[in-house]
Amino acid sequence: MRRLASRIIIVAAIVVSTLYLHEAMAADPAVPHDRSVYDTKTLVSVACSKCHGFNGISISPLFPILAAQKPLYLENQLRLFRLRARSDPHAQAFMWGIAQRLDDDQIEALAGYFSNQPAAAGKPSRDAALAARGKVIYENGVPEREILGCIGCHGPNAAGIEQFPRLAGQHRDYLAIQVKQFHGLLRENEIMYRYVENITDDEIAAVTEYLASK
Amino acid sequence: MTDDHRMSCSWFPARRFLPLGWVASVAFGIATLMLVSPCALAIPPFARQTGLACEACHTAPPELTPFGRRFKLNGYTLTTRPPLVNDIDDYKRNSLWLTDLPGIAVLAQIGYDHYDRAPPDTGQPYPAHGQSDSFQFPDQFSLVYAGAVSDKVGAWLQLTYNGQSGGVGVDNIDIRYSDHSVDNKWVWGVTANNYVTFQDVWNGFGSYSLPNFNTVTLWSGGVGGSSLNGPLISSFGPGIVAGIGGYTFFNDSLYVELSAYHSSFNGGGTPVVDSSNLAAQGGALDGFAPYWRVAYEYDWGYNSAEIGTTGMFAKWIPSNGYISRQQTLAAAAAGGSFTPAQTFNPGAANQYTDIGVDWHYQYNGQHNIYSFLGHLIHENQHNSDQLTAATFTGLQGGPVYSNSTDTLTGFQATGEYFRDRRYGGLVSFNRTTGRSDVLANGGDGSPANQFEVFELDYLPWLNFRFLLQYNAYQVVANNQNPFTASNSRFPNSPGFPNVKASDNNTWVVGLWMDY
Repeated sequence: MRRLASRIIIVAAIVVSTLYLHEAMAADPAVPHDRSVYDTKTLVSVACSKCHGFNGISISPLFPILAAQKPLYLENQLRLFRLRARSDPHAQAFMWGIAQRLDDDQIEALAGYFSNQPAAAGKPSRDAALAARGKVIYENGVPEREILGCIGCHGPNAAGIEQFPRLAGQHRDYLAIQVKQFHGLLRENEIMYRYVENITDDEIAAVTEYLASK
Repeated sequence: MTDDHRMSCSWFPARRFLPLGWVASVAFGIATLMLVSPCALAIPPFARQTGLACEACHTAPPELTPFGRRFKLNGYTLTTRPPLVNDIDDYKRNSLWLTDLPGIAVLAQIGYDHYDRAPPDTGQPYPAHGQSDSFQFPDQFSLVYAGAVSDKVGAWLQLTYNGQSGGVGVDNIDIRYSDHSVDNKWVWGVTANNYVTFQDVWNGFGSYSLPNFNTVTLWSGGVGGSSLNGPLISSFGPGIVAGIGGYTFFNDSLYVELSAYHSSFNGGGTPVVDSSNLAAQGGALDGFAPYWRVAYEYDWGYNSAEIGTTGMFAKWIPSNGYISRQQTLAAAAAGGSFTPAQTFNPGAANQYTDIGVDWHYQYNGQHNIYSFLGHLIHENQHNSDQLTAATFTGLQGGPVYSNSTDTLTGFQATGEYFRDRRYGGLVSFNRTTGRSDVLANGGDGSPANQFEVFELDYLPWLNFRFLLQYNAYQVVANNQNPFTASNSRFPNSPGFPNVKASDNNTWVVGLWMDY
């Protein structure tokens, strides 16, 4: 009996120590188990920066500016990409693949990295009257057609609140594409669909002109 | 002066070679030696490796987006695949990284061509002629490995069956090492490849310039191997040369590359170019030929613009640069000037200096994509004294160049448009002019050609492309034209009446797919 007990203890010790060692190795970030174990800056450099810029300011309006974006929003989006639960065309073409093997720590680190980058300066409006109209829509919506204002979720300066993204300084075309995709259910978002369900192209042009210039 | 193979992702030159006379050999140069097969276009292994759709790297293949250029310059190494096998050394350096999914692709191109005038019969005298159409099924069939080999090394290794030659051979190869600063300000790398310009990332000049799909139309290889004159730099494809070079890409804008190429003959029995295979090779480089490339890219909004310069200095020994021992002895007996007995004659090298500018503007919008791109390249060809000397008479049937210096200027301007990467087309204007050289070019000596390519494309899927193309020729000079008496590829063709450049006009129906 005593012999059995000692054997159990030995086996248990081996198992525990093995598990511990395995855990310790797994926790050592210096050991490159595979190449996805990059530090955050390298990850940004290798992958994100090619479209979004190293400082989170993208050149092409096809790709959103991420600098100063709300970290919770970035985390949520990356998780949605990883789950393939956000399925607008560019999400599928680009982010499903890029995000597929990010772990939670990396997602959190990337969100932190981009949210801490200095915000992009808004581009001066080409049409002041249009931007002014957009400001009205942003703040008050279009009551006669039951369109609510954006300000409640995205904040008075459009800098975003918690999970609601920053819109200020974003590419005008990117914003317009997103609104149209919410409207067309290409990008699934129940809240945004309700907000933009009745919006017109003119109103999209106005509000995005305003936001891009902020 | 050599013939243009701007689309020559080609290989197995020996298979196409026909023993020609000296003058004919020069006239055709390496043109008749190089098979012309369409380049591989988009590559699914890259998509599988990165998880990115084709549109990340291509507007419409093979044209690269700014992202695609960076992917290539970073050595094809971006990956989101997990490693199946991984190893590190005692210093925690990664020593092995094998993906769970090797980047293998199958590429196929199929083409049906209809010629405005049935080409001359290669074996029977005038007025015999061949059929007025041809069906290449496949025109090209390739297996490609493409992707990361390690975290800093990537490769493109292509093996191709060519429908015209019926042979399988090594096609395009590009192996590159790359690294970069953390902030991406500096990207640098080394490329080893077997096709001058295959390593390039802009599409204004070289192997990936547009138009890119071709079968056996005249401009892209020609009926029965006839081909158009073009600068030598366009002729250095697989099986002809191989080279290695270093490059850097600074601040996402300035690209500088310096490479050197050497003759590299596949399938010639011996890797050493000598009297036994020089003719089959179509010629050989004398030593290393430097190649340089400087380009500046500026991106804003949906736009990307590039302007650059490309150049090469090459000493090229044409196929008749070989002087046999017997010929040398005969020359000595006749009082000729070639005293040392030799089987290989570097002294017969022509010196080529090719310098060009290229441009590439691209608008890559959400729905609309269009590009304007092209190049202007000038070639100065200083012919070997031996090949122009009158003393050549009695040795090889006489001198093979009329001038001590020949020139060639090539111009291409292409506009391309795609809607949603599904419907599109292009128009391309191409013109080559140069100094008249009767001995080299036959007829009145002109090396000129001029033609347009019109193309309509339909891509039901991004890796499946139908196209309809029309090639219209205004100028096809002398031995470039299969219908003329001076075209040695068709020795029985003399006598065709009313030979016009437009005889070569061709309709092409094509299919390109890869998986």
